Amino acid sequence: MKKNIYQPLKAVIEEIIEETPAIKTFRLKPEGGFKFATGQFIEMTVPGVGEAPFTPSSDPGISEKLDLTIMNVGEVTAKLHSLRPGEVVGIRGPYGKGYPLDKFKGKDILIVGGGVGLAPLRSLLFSLFATISNYNKVVLRYGSRSPKDIVYKNLIPEWAKRDKVDVLVSVDIGDSGWQGNVGLVTTILGDAPVDFTNTLGIVCGPPIMMKFVTLKLLDLGIKPADIYLSMEKSMSCGLGKCGHCRIGKYYACKDGPVFTYEQLKDIHDIWD
Amino acid sequence: METYFLKNDDLVKFYEHLAEDYDLYVPVREKSPVKRDECTCRASLPTDDYFLKKFSQVKKEDIVFNDYRAVEPTRAFFTHYKEEACEYFEDAGAKEKRERPVALCGIKNCDLFSLKVQDFVFLGGSEADPLYKSRREAALIIASDCPHFKEACFCRAFDINPYPTEAFDFNLSPLNNGYLLDIATQKAKLIAVSLKNLLVPATLGQISGRGAKRESVNMRMDEHLTQYKIPKKETLQDIVLSGYNSGIWQEEMRTCVECNACVFMCDTCHCFLLSDTSSSGSVKRLRLWDGCLLKNFTKVAGGANALKMRYMRLRNRYLKKFDFFVSNLGYQACCGCGRCIEVCPGKIDIRRILRKLYESR
Repeated sequence: MKKNIYQPLKAVIEEIIEETPAIKTFRLKPEGGFKFATGQFIEMTVPGVGEAPFTPSSDPGISEKLDLTIMNVGEVTAKLHSLRPGEVVGIRGPYGKGYPLDKFKGKDILIVGGGVGLAPLRSLLFSLFATISNYNKVVLRYGSRSPKDIVYKNLIPEWAKRDKVDVLVSVDIGDSGWQGNVGLVTTILGDAPVDFTNTLGIVCGPPIMMKFVTLKLLDLGIKPADIYLSMEKSMSCGLGKCGHCRIGKYYACKDGPVFTYEQLKDIHDIWD
Repeated sequence: METYFLKNDDLVKFYEHLAEDYDLYVPVREKSPVKRDECTCRASLPTDDYFLKKFSQVKKEDIVFNDYRAVEPTRAFFTHYKEEACEYFEDAGAKEKRERPVALCGIKNCDLFSLKVQDFVFLGGSEADPLYKSRREAALIIASDCPHFKEACFCRAFDINPYPTEAFDFNLSPLNNGYLLDIATQKAKLIAVSLKNLLVPATLGQISGRGAKRESVNMRMDEHLTQYKIPKKETLQDIVLSGYNSGIWQEEMRTCVECNACVFMCDTCHCFLLSDTSSSGSVKRLRLWDGCLLKNFTKVAGGANALKMRYMRLRNRYLKKFDFFVSNLGYQACCGCGRCIEVCPGKIDIRRILRKLYESR
């Protein structure tokens, strides 16, 4: 029987980790395992409800388990958030082009995440940690709306303890227990301990955050070709056919979802 | 390519032979209440419509030669408006559905141009679409010349001729009391073997007669198109990009009622949406035609919509046709069939928009 490109594989939900009131990490066990490269995305099926695209947040080196960190924002994700361990979902992919790690060698890597946008970056961090000797340093700057909206609360302090890794978190609005930085993530980029002439910026978050972080990184001297953006668009097929995710001459699903700013800078309204 | 002469009376025999192995679709005429479109170029243009209908379901006397393209886009034979893309999580061995291949008569050169765009989308990309691929490979294309054209036809503006010279299995060119029949593919040759009693090799005189007819329709269409001043195809990408901030998009969308008919009648449009349904225990994934003039086309979960205004959606459609495809495929995704012009209740005319964009540069 010929493979049907629209047909998902089965995956069992093994564990659900509540990251924030609106965000959960679903740990899946895909039938027969599942390989992907960091930055590539999948289409996840909630049976009978529909599909939505997500970039895995787990270590690409592990094919038996697949983590997806998902915010409850729409029809598919609302249903997904009501599922329990043991229930079955579908996955299709992986699709698109991920982060070109071979181009990261010998560089300072400045990773800037916003909100649930840290999910794909977590997968990238795992990949970078596994090959840390290739890079000068890995610096993570993460912005969240409030302390309770921070994802991976237990993992972030662990990452900060690693060699060659520097982590700083900022929240837009603090609370009585918050002792860290308060302010948009753009306010903690200038002091990042990197050599901006040899730094790659990796950005993932809401469009408005990506826009201002990109402008800030350009200001700090990072070249457009060295800024990697994870572009989120409406993506239905994931295969460069359904036409929803066009950005200029590209499809986000096929040519992205990771683009350099150099690729996108002359296209109108990329942040909309 | 071999060319034969087929008598008028033998055309139905040719169809009957094809219908043995194919679901054959043939042109029938739908009379228009308007007899002739009087054009400012003084040409008197036909207004009747043609539909491709199943040979087995039409009366033989209703079958005609279509003088120009049919109403429905050819792509509708290869991706249906609403169809099952797959079932999933079926425990028993998945069933494979077998379809009879289609043979399409009366396909015009604009339709063949559009099929190249559809092939690029559904056979290319990351992986080929299996349903499209099997239908396309099994199909038989019996193309034909356009001895006439409608008011909305503008293929020649983009250097597409109103007669096919490639990308078909057979081509019919009406001539005197019959047709010249081009046999272009191995598949067509095999079929022609059993029709040899009906076919006489075309003479040089017949071939040159066809050439003269083709030249005549070219000249008539060129004269008709003069009034529209449609920009040359080489300029299309530049004019849609440089016109990005033009007020023309808002002006032209004033009469749009968002019916999306232009998209659904377009032969080069291809967008679709995967939508899941569940009933009586089985879960199905449907593939539905979608269109970028529909307001939720780019809406994402959470409500953000990159194309929230109608003018943005019109502009997006033109950028897709004249920027994206020119960059990725090498030519525009518009064949000049004029179906979008005829179907639009708001009289939005692609010829006028392109000219206005060109003139406002």
